[in-house]
Amino acid sequence: MARELIHAIVDGILTGGVYALMAVGLTLIFGVLDIINIAQGVLVILGAYLSYSLSTRAHIDLFTGLLITIPVMFIIGVVIHWAFIRRLRGTERTSMTLLVTYAVALIIEGILYKAYGADDVQLQASYTTSSVHIFGFYLPWIFIYGFIVAVCLVVALYLLLYRTRLGRSVRATMQDENAARLVGIEVNRVAALTFGIGVAVTAVGGMFFGATNAFNPNSGYDLISRLLAIIILGGLGSIGGALAASVFMLTLESVVTIWQPTWAIAVFYAALVLVLLIRPTGFLGRKAVRAQ
Amino acid sequence: MTRDSRPWLVRAFLLVLLVAAAVAFPKVFTNPAVTNYGVLALIFVTVASAWNIFSGNSGYISLGHAVFFGSGAYAMGIAARDWNVQGTTVFALLPLAAVVGAVIAVVFGLIALRVRRHTFIVITIAVFFIFQLAAFNLRSLTGGSAGLNSPFLNWPSSGYNTPFYYIALAFAGATIAIAVAVRRSRFGLQLRAIRDDEDRARGLGVRAMRVKLTAFVLSGAITAMIGSIWFYYINQVEPQTGFDPLFDLLVVLMAFLGGYGSITGPVLGALIIEPGTLWLNTQPQFSGGYLSEILLGAVFLVIVLFVPRGIVPTGGEWITRLRTRGRPAVVPVAAGAATAGSAGGAAAASAASPAGATADAPPASRASKGGAR
Amino acid sequence: MRPAIPWLSTKALALSAIAVVAAGGLAACTSSSSSTSSGAPSSSSSAPSSAAGGGAPITIGASLSLTGDFSADGQAFQKGYNLWAKDVNAKGGILGRQVKITVLNDASNPTQAVTNYQTLINTDHVDLTFGPFSSLITGPSSAVAARAGYALIEGAGGAPSVFNTPQNQADHNVFDVSLPIADELVPFVNYIASLPAAQRPKTAAYPMADDPFADPPVQLAQSKLEALGVKTVYSKIFPAEVAAYTPAADQVAGKAPDLVVLGSTDVPTVGAFMQAFEQQHYVPKMFIAAAGPDQGADFTKAVGAGNATGVMVPNGWYPSYANPDSQAMVKEYVAQYGGTASDVNADVAEAYAVGQIAAQAITATGGTDNGKIITYLHQATSLTSVQGPVKFDSLGGNTAAAAFIFQWQKGGTYSQVLPLGSPGSVSILATKPAWTK
Repeated sequence: MARELIHAIVDGILTGGVYALMAVGLTLIFGVLDIINIAQGVLVILGAYLSYSLSTRAHIDLFTGLLITIPVMFIIGVVIHWAFIRRLRGTERTSMTLLVTYAVALIIEGILYKAYGADDVQLQASYTTSSVHIFGFYLPWIFIYGFIVAVCLVVALYLLLYRTRLGRSVRATMQDENAARLVGIEVNRVAALTFGIGVAVTAVGGMFFGATNAFNPNSGYDLISRLLAIIILGGLGSIGGALAASVFMLTLESVVTIWQPTWAIAVFYAALVLVLLIRPTGFLGRKAVRAQ
Repeated sequence: MTRDSRPWLVRAFLLVLLVAAAVAFPKVFTNPAVTNYGVLALIFVTVASAWNIFSGNSGYISLGHAVFFGSGAYAMGIAARDWNVQGTTVFALLPLAAVVGAVIAVVFGLIALRVRRHTFIVITIAVFFIFQLAAFNLRSLTGGSAGLNSPFLNWPSSGYNTPFYYIALAFAGATIAIAVAVRRSRFGLQLRAIRDDEDRARGLGVRAMRVKLTAFVLSGAITAMIGSIWFYYINQVEPQTGFDPLFDLLVVLMAFLGGYGSITGPVLGALIIEPGTLWLNTQPQFSGGYLSEILLGAVFLVIVLFVPRGIVPTGGEWITRLRTRGRPAVVPVAAGAATAGSAGGAAAASAASPAGATADAPPASRASKGGAR
Repeated sequence: MRPAIPWLSTKALALSAIAVVAAGGLAACTSSSSSTSSGAPSSSSSAPSSAAGGGAPITIGASLSLTGDFSADGQAFQKGYNLWAKDVNAKGGILGRQVKITVLNDASNPTQAVTNYQTLINTDHVDLTFGPFSSLITGPSSAVAARAGYALIEGAGGAPSVFNTPQNQADHNVFDVSLPIADELVPFVNYIASLPAAQRPKTAAYPMADDPFADPPVQLAQSKLEALGVKTVYSKIFPAEVAAYTPAADQVAGKAPDLVVLGSTDVPTVGAFMQAFEQQHYVPKMFIAAAGPDQGADFTKAVGAGNATGVMVPNGWYPSYANPDSQAMVKEYVAQYGGTASDVNADVAEAYAVGQIAAQAITATGGTDNGKIITYLHQATSLTSVQGPVKFDSLGGNTAAAAFIFQWQKGGTYSQVLPLGSPGSVSILATKPAWTK
């Protein structure tokens, strides 16, 4: 029993890393721009398909392929922001972005159906099925890599936000857009870059998701509700919070699965509701994230 | 004001004409394939209007109204199964669906309405998934993943859709009437005060929680009833169809497309989106699937980007502009209010109402404050 | 002056009026979008009779999930329907009439499926309706067909919940040409029973996806195997979504049972379990999955041909099935869509069989009168399809279908192994080999 429990916890922590990779982009976008990016799930799948094409067509290793997919996803993100998001203003902006990003999700999904068909595929490499034996447990390499990359990414984004000029601009915009504008920050450029970065990291998230799960163009919708729950639990805009909440969620799910697999996700959502009732800003959220 | 000079008789006449058209629809188009669009469109008119009574007035966007829709469907299905209700008597279970919806709304609301708006959206999603999973897992009650079949309704194909059409029409009409009553009441005023600035409303003595909860319960009860009608019409409900995440998005889309917060906006949105998407898929040239998705997405994008406040407010503005062409005294007022209120869909919606520009001044100025955020 | 109804502006009403006109236009459009009928307004919705003789094509309508949750199977089904229509037309059609098949997309949504069948029946006036994919969509679709007096011949809605609807119990219009799912693992249980006690698996795990299609056969197998003394170490239902597969699979691997009977719905379920098993260095001695390994190359591509070796699956059909029709169909498929015989998905055969049964009914009744077809199908005893013999019970289940167990064997071949010694069967690989690419 104890062994089972430990195994479930380790599994949950490692899988949490993969979810964090998908959630950090969403929390960055939501936190800085006040945009609920419904398309994030589909963008993860798009990232996974890009990796899939590179590995099956050009036989490029999944990790090497990231050098190509990350910039591509960054450009896609900037274009989406420039073409659609930038134009939305006003009090209902947050709600309107729901619609715009849903429309973007539909279009991307349609294009993926056209390009790849509806069959499920999965990314494959030597390390997707092999594992390492530590303390009597088999730990899959792909999850270990995913967790390490997640931690590195969180640190890198943290440094970007707190140690660079761009980061200062982003944080200033996050706190008070008007004041940021007044001190000469190009708010639109910051927003575009943030959206681009938020989408670029889904290339990484998509690669790990695709290496650990089968996916097809429709898979994004199952993801988005989980990711939204994670970033709310972690505190909007909090990158470390997204990692913590991912690990918490997946561990809880993995542990509950020992007894009742069908209730595992319900327990997570129930925990989310409870946490928010006690602490409305989530784990690591700033106080009064928004005046609103 | 020019806008108010139009006699109310014209308006009443137009209204009667619309009602007459709605009533005559199944008589003119007897093909069941066409009345089917009517039934489904009216079901969504009801849902979108019910959603708008709460979300449009209060500003709390609910992405969990499928909780009520599915619960209503399951309430009717379970009651009909366990009490062995057959045929048209099944419609007598509608009040039960309303009670179930209301009770769920009270509990759901007491939890979810304590948090502010962004968090509220995600809490409604979370509650939604808890309900969907409960429908999957409480097998003895809900039939699990196989779902529930509706009782057998011995109506022939030619006469099956029409009664459902009139039932749905009655629901749609009643819901719109309730929405109007809410809007004109003190209660509606309090709701909109909460939408504009909840803290200030509280400061002015509005009992925010009670007001929000009342609207939520009203909205939930109506949605549950129409959900049970949908169930009986479709003949079956499963966890993933009764509690469908896309349903939630679709309803929000309808409200925003038509004009969020107005009375006619969600109605129009539902009348366009539901039949439109259904029709698109019945066209064999789109049978590849992906084409209809891309087209749908593109249409949404165009609408949101070019008609950002919804069709009713924007359309109203165009009409005003046309009518007042050459009368510069009026144009700047309307246009000014519209630009100041930029995306305040709700503010613009009230601007389109004949109550007059003066009444809109406060929300418009607040909207501009928010708009600069 | 104060308007009497200040909340409904003239402008809003005018817009509504425009919308109503547009809706009317759409309705008119829908009424006349018929491709085959004369466009006469349809007041009667009774099924069209066979009065039109000679050259008029036989029109057939179906709704399939070309997008959404069931899109992979839906698209495979579409290939099967189209392949059948092409073959029939190449042979001169049925009763000298060509076949024209219209497939609409229901996006895995029953409301859309209901709309599609209403359109096909009442606007396009198709002569016959074929079924959608999945038990979830089949229920509401069959109700529409039943009300209009149509038979719904389908190949992929075999869950008990499809046959037991009040509508079908009243109208008996659903016909599933495929194997009823509840008994499909019985040959496997019989095989275990035939083994000497020492060779039987000692322990077994029964993870099941939450799906009306996946669970009934596994639950039946579990009760029968327990009666044989096979100890159950794990029997749980997990949610049918990808994120839930790995935790459940890790649980099973932790119990290390001799036998795993997986209540799966598709390739990703089986793929996730096999990936987790391999990561955990756990090799079940026997591994049988309710669905997934029957999907030809889609399966081997997902899990690797080496890993597939030894994996078993129940089904009513396989690409090298020794049936002349089936072999012709496989050849046609390869000619049309490329690949090899083993790429042919079982969905294709299920869909193809639907067409064949319909063709036999039309030929026997001399036309497309749905009333006669329903009566005929309930009585017919000698129907055949690419999946073998077909005979319907009163609720439309196929009682003649024999359940086979198939196994992936060395060299990536997919063969029938059970029942033991049945025609066309090869010897079973009794123990699953270790994981290898």
